[in-house]
Amino acid sequence: MYLDFVKSLFFLMHEHNLGYIYKGIFTPEVTDTVLYLTEHKLEKQEESIKLKKRVYNILVESLQNVIRHQAKDHKRNPFHDSLFLIQKIENRYVITTGNIIKTENVSKLQSLLDKINELSKEELKEFYLKILSEGEFSEKGGAGLGLLDIARKSGNKLLYKFVPFSQNYSYFYLCIIPILEDSSHCSDYKNDFKFVELIHSILNKEDISIINNGPFNQENLLIFLNSLEGQMIGNVGYKKKVYYIVIEMIQNIIKHGFIPENYDQSAVPGIFLLGQINNKYRILTGNFIENKDLYTLKEKIDKVNNMNSDQLNNYFNDFLFDFANENYKKAGLGLIDIRIKSQHKIDYDILPINENYSFLTLQSLVNID
Amino acid sequence: MKALYIKAQEDTPEVILDKDKKIFEISERSLPENAISFYEPIINWLQEYKNSPLDETIFKFKLEYFNTASAKQIAKILLELQEIAKVSKVKILWYYHKDDTDMLTSGLRFSKLLNIPFEFIEI
Repeated sequence: MYLDFVKSLFFLMHEHNLGYIYKGIFTPEVTDTVLYLTEHKLEKQEESIKLKKRVYNILVESLQNVIRHQAKDHKRNPFHDSLFLIQKIENRYVITTGNIIKTENVSKLQSLLDKINELSKEELKEFYLKILSEGEFSEKGGAGLGLLDIARKSGNKLLYKFVPFSQNYSYFYLCIIPILEDSSHCSDYKNDFKFVELIHSILNKEDISIINNGPFNQENLLIFLNSLEGQMIGNVGYKKKVYYIVIEMIQNIIKHGFIPENYDQSAVPGIFLLGQINNKYRILTGNFIENKDLYTLKEKIDKVNNMNSDQLNNYFNDFLFDFANENYKKAGLGLIDIRIKSQHKIDYDILPINENYSFLTLQSLVNID
Repeated sequence: MKALYIKAQEDTPEVILDKDKKIFEISERSLPENAISFYEPIINWLQEYKNSPLDETIFKFKLEYFNTASAKQIAKILLELQEIAKVSKVKILWYYHKDDTDMLTSGLRFSKLLNIPFEFIEI
């Protein structure tokens, strides 16, 4: 039952309409990736160009802000990782970032945020120009300016929260909701960051760095694959291995995942997670599956898990050259291939939803070096 | 015989099957959702080519990635080439990135299961 956190995350993310989460060290490559993914999402949903541009600008600024202020540990500490989430609530994009901050700096930052939030649009502009000319607040290359700029561009108050987590460090969550000037009123969206903290704690505990909350079709898979490049560590060989497995696991969802009635029928609901455990990559997927298919699936996974490498190769070859009753949905090779390439057993967890379908989680491990 | 040219898409490979120019090549990525329908014209082309092949057919696989659904279609292509090898010379050139042991393994698997000469080329 140790994989049940995947189901919890799936439903939490659905409840809050969260599409994508990244947790880790932010680099310019990561920024590019997040921008690339969001751009595709924005394009698809045909937002007004103005809002699109605004969201995009704020994303750039807020991600750079995280890069400026994130922890610069020599050794990776998952609890010090920075965080990025994007969700859509009632036609508004809600961007949340997180990074650690020295507790001694909290009060200074808090008063700056409060000051920014009190200022009108005109006052913000004046304050911005004043800081620009005086050059204060700039000990880290424009601490105040970054936030001020975000506030100006978003046209909205900055929501924030500080959570102390060790003797010297606190975690700083910042939530930005870009609105258009012609929107009739400021956002009444309240964010107590409770669900963000909850998700964050699961990510820390399970050492998960990327979540893509579907839904999946071939198009989304390709966009997502392109985005993975900049976000992985390890040598090219292992990255490729992870790629192969990601493709098979997501195509498994696309081909076999079940779409319950209350979900959008145009793509298959599912969740993808990439993380680490004991110096291995952990690649996880979660999706719905009809109960009538459970027995066959379990049987197949147990079978490939208990085979040695010769048996696996023979089993793979049998399917490879079996063209009888060919059906594009059932090559039959996916799970065997995952098992062969990963060189680890495939972990699975099945949690019943109702009498018709269940939630299936699969985990595949790949040694990092 | 009319040549078959298919331009690469994001999830389907570039295909060149040109008897006059003696080019037989599949390259880039192959991860389509429906591999059967993508590879159908390629299999059909080879079945026609089988009737009057060149004295020597050098078939290049220069794939960066392929999914398991494509693996099965590649198996089909290789079976056709095995047939052609009964009446003429056939050689497979299997390219792989030096860090991509999985691509090499896939090629070795095919070469073991089939009766055609394979040459493995590291890039």
